[in-house]
Amino acid sequence: MTTRFVSAAELMCRVLGVPDYRFVVIGHPISSAGDAELAEYARATVEQARGLLMAA
Amino acid sequence: MEATVQLTNKPPLTSKVYDVADFAAAQELYHSSGWTDGLPVVPPTEAAVEACLAWAGMTPDQLIGVEPVRAQTITAEKLAINAVMAGCLPMHFPVVATVWQAMLKEEFLLHGVTSSTGGCAVLVIINGPVRREIGADATFNALGNSDRATSVIGRAVRLALINLLDVRPGGIDRSTLGHPGKFSYCLAEDEEDTTWQPLSVLRGIPEGASAVTVMAAMAPRQVMNEWTNDPKEILETFAAEMRANQLHYSIYGGNYAIVIPKQLREPIQRAGWSKQDIGEFLFERARVRRGEWAGVGKGSIVRDRADKIHPALESAEHLLVVAAGGPAGGFGAIIPPWMGSKTKAVTAAIGACVDCEPPKD
Amino acid sequence: MRQRRPCYKVTEPEPKGQLMTLRVLDPTNESRAVGGKLAPRPHSLQGKTVGFISNGKEGTKGYFTHLDRLLRQEFGVAEVVWRTKSNYSAPADAYLIDELKRWHAVVAGVGD
Repeated sequence: MTTRFVSAAELMCRVLGVPDYRFVVIGHPISSAGDAELAEYARATVEQARGLLMAA
Repeated sequence: MEATVQLTNKPPLTSKVYDVADFAAAQELYHSSGWTDGLPVVPPTEAAVEACLAWAGMTPDQLIGVEPVRAQTITAEKLAINAVMAGCLPMHFPVVATVWQAMLKEEFLLHGVTSSTGGCAVLVIINGPVRREIGADATFNALGNSDRATSVIGRAVRLALINLLDVRPGGIDRSTLGHPGKFSYCLAEDEEDTTWQPLSVLRGIPEGASAVTVMAAMAPRQVMNEWTNDPKEILETFAAEMRANQLHYSIYGGNYAIVIPKQLREPIQRAGWSKQDIGEFLFERARVRRGEWAGVGKGSIVRDRADKIHPALESAEHLLVVAAGGPAGGFGAIIPPWMGSKTKAVTAAIGACVDCEPPKD
Repeated sequence: MRQRRPCYKVTEPEPKGQLMTLRVLDPTNESRAVGGKLAPRPHSLQGKTVGFISNGKEGTKGYFTHLDRLLRQEFGVAEVVWRTKSNYSAPADAYLIDELKRWHAVVAGVGD
């Protein structure tokens, strides 16, 4: 989720009955970010994703 | 021994009941719980809610519909509670219920419409005999505070969104700006003072039936042209406003609503133009070249498609023409769509289920 | 036009000394959707297939290009499937939900 949508994501998790669902948070916005910034967001994603996409 | 006679078998309401000291205490309960739009609410008592249900001939657990993204059921009881809070009388409730049935149709895309940063509101247009029954006034202030009926019906729509689908600012409602229509955005059509067919009839509802049309809509953009009686010149002003919306807000085609009050309506009608003629004219005239984006600061997204033409309307039928407004003033309004044609305007008959199906599992 | 009266009863104020309360109703949906379960996680993504469900907005192509590269380089992912929803304001299309059952992991999100 981009930072500005974190509260929406948290609310949807609660509304859908999975309040403890964990997700990756990256910067906002994507739409006007340059390529270097997008590369950083992708890097931040994989660092956070290690614990989310795979079993411990 | 006392004999009691139960004349009717009323199904009970199942909502939780709160005991509050008085009207003021009720306000603080509802405000602090996030159950309002910021304005005072009418405390929804059991009697008031039951009266709405009785008028509409609905049981409390009657299913109005299901919001598919959250699998959230909307019942008559819960909708009636929010309608009472908005200030609705029993006679307003069938309109509110029909608006919700329409909004819950898949093609309306209720979740996207109400959660987007785009900040649209739900525009409600009322047609048919119900307008006169509830005292809806399609003349002065048609897009403002024209009358009690349209004010409270529009408000009920928003309160129910807040409370039944958690559409709250900063929560599911991510609107960056929103607009005042989010308080109430409802008008009736002035069917008595126009030669044109009602909007609902053109959208497939039988003549003489009451109906509502719902549209995910941005704020109205007022235009003025009191210097000509030529329909093409009058409508060119509306077309220019649609083109401006395409360039300044969103270029993509969808349902546009156009509200034409009496002073501008009369020369168009005298020249023999029907609503279909208006739709065809604006279909042709309301379109922009993608390259024009460069003139309004959006050069970076023109890319190699500068010559692509974007029509505001996918077809003439996508235009919703509404005869409404006060008798004097060369004004009209364009009401743009939220975002292209992701959502479609929906028209539904009140009190009749023309082609409805039970919700799919 | 005949004026219709409101159909609910307006109660008279209670005499002094008696406690007056209003019984008012909860306007929210008190029943909630039943929660889902987390899909089991693989122990490693080596040789696996990861799918992206994009909303197709500006910037997503650049972001997913970098993510695709990093997943292959650092997690040993064998295949990255790119999919875009047909409507960025609606949930993923049914055929995407069907297809993702064949992937080992999914990346989807909310952003602008």
